[in-house]
Amino acid sequence: MDRLRRGDPRAFEELVIAYQHRVFGVALRMLGSRAEAEEAAQEVFLRAHRAIADFRGDAKLSTWLYAIASRLCMNRLASGERRLLREGEETLARIPSGHPSPADELERSERDAALHRAIAELSDERRMVVVLRDLEGLSYEEIASALDLELGTVRSRLHRARMDLKEKLERFLP
Amino acid sequence: MTCHDAREQLSALIDDALGAAERGAVEEHLATCAECRRELERLRDTVALLRAVEPARAPAGFVDRVLEAARPKPWPRRLFRALLLPWPVKLPIEAAAIVLVAVGVVYVFRSTLEPARFYDAPPSGTTILSDTARPSSDASRDAARPPEATRAQGATRAKETARTLEGGRPQEAVRAREAERAPEAAKAKERDRAPEKQALEKKSPEGPPAAKTTPAPEAFKEAGQQSKDADERRAKLDDTARDVAKRQANVPPAEPQVAGKLEESPARAERSQDTAGARARSLAREPEPRTDTLQAPRAAAPAPAIASFVAPDVSGRLAVPDRDAALQTLARLLARLGGVEDRRFVGDEGPIVELTISREAYPELLRDLAALGRWQLVREAPALPEKVRVVLRITR
Repeated sequence: MDRLRRGDPRAFEELVIAYQHRVFGVALRMLGSRAEAEEAAQEVFLRAHRAIADFRGDAKLSTWLYAIASRLCMNRLASGERRLLREGEETLARIPSGHPSPADELERSERDAALHRAIAELSDERRMVVVLRDLEGLSYEEIASALDLELGTVRSRLHRARMDLKEKLERFLP
Repeated sequence: MTCHDAREQLSALIDDALGAAERGAVEEHLATCAECRRELERLRDTVALLRAVEPARAPAGFVDRVLEAARPKPWPRRLFRALLLPWPVKLPIEAAAIVLVAVGVVYVFRSTLEPARFYDAPPSGTTILSDTARPSSDASRDAARPPEATRAQGATRAKETARTLEGGRPQEAVRAREAERAPEAAKAKERDRAPEKQALEKKSPEGPPAAKTTPAPEAFKEAGQQSKDADERRAKLDDTARDVAKRQANVPPAEPQVAGKLEESPARAERSQDTAGARARSLAREPEPRTDTLQAPRAAAPAPAIASFVAPDVSGRLAVPDRDAALQTLARLLARLGGVEDRRFVGDEGPIVELTISREAYPELLRDLAALGRWQLVREAPALPEKVRVVLRITR
């Protein structure tokens, strides 16, 4: 952190290397397009670079970056300037498997498509909570901190989002 | 705990985010409610699906692009951005630049195209059939004219001028009084004209005749303002004058001389008549045509020579199978609409007609022209005056 605050380029490079996939993942799942996600993720790191001196260190660095990323994505989503066409098929990566049979492959493909759709159809606020919790693995407290929300709000939003997804994915559940 | 309350806590139970008491209460309900247990399992499976999603990976080269973008820019570029990026600075500069360019373009366009727009640029070789103005470029053709024809025409015109001035029309009297205000030098020369008439006849052709009667700038301007009156007078000229005009089609207009004639008052009409007569006589004797004497008849319709440099309000082409029939129809049309045919030229492609029509009747004229043949509007002034000047090129 000290090196970062002193403006050590090497420290900033390490930060980008360490968090690039996570920041990019949040942007991709929120914005839907790889190109727009890369643009947004780059902007997140540039903002972090400019504001690193203001980072007080009372939250984890990752939470701080998620906070910047989530704000930037929500602003873009609210601005109406973003592209309407989302690359839905890119929203979620494929679930890895061993050597599936053609039947398994077909079922997995259908399930993935349904999963993309279901996540993409969530409201922006619920999608953000699900992404941070179930795809990025943040704790409730970290999510509350990143999104500047009450813990109870995070909990209820997350539950609503999961219930929506459960209904839409019913036929793929065991 | 009800099923509803218990189900609200299921997500937190899965995430192990409940306090001990809450967790105990939910687990107690689940132990007794198979439906809620089933709900919990389905929710757990849903979360498992989500968590099985492979993490996204940033594209190759992402780190390098971020580091490149974060690298400080060279100071000139930072200075440039600092100067031009703020909108309050950038916008006025850009706006001023646009306005300047626009003004420049308009100025250059107006100053260079005004003479070139003369009658929508009639084709070269145009013969002027009217008795009035012609472009001054015709002066070069003067040299090729047979002296006899020029002299004969000059004599006729001189007599016409004398007749006109003898009539002593009140309008000219007013104009002459206005012209009296011109600087003394010009007036003195004008007064001296009659006594000098014999001397004039002996002057060499090289002597700049316009200089003798060059009007003061004020008088010249007044002549331009009188163009309307002159148009009316022009319409009244008799057929004889038209015949004369046909013969002298290539005589240069020499506007300064024309304006100078305006300075002649009715009181001097007699003198002028003598002068004109003397000129006519001198023309008959002189072996070479004299530019100054050739200008004498032009006093009858001086202003159009100046007005002719003002572009018409409207110009267009009318393609018809029979041009003569179209001209006749046009004449009837003008008579009906209260318009006046001012002049007629013969161009390479056919007759060119200049006419004046009231603004009210102008739309109807356009409609009727379109009915006559293939009508193409070449130019139309954005704001039409009360009397619209129209130039028609009638082609096949």
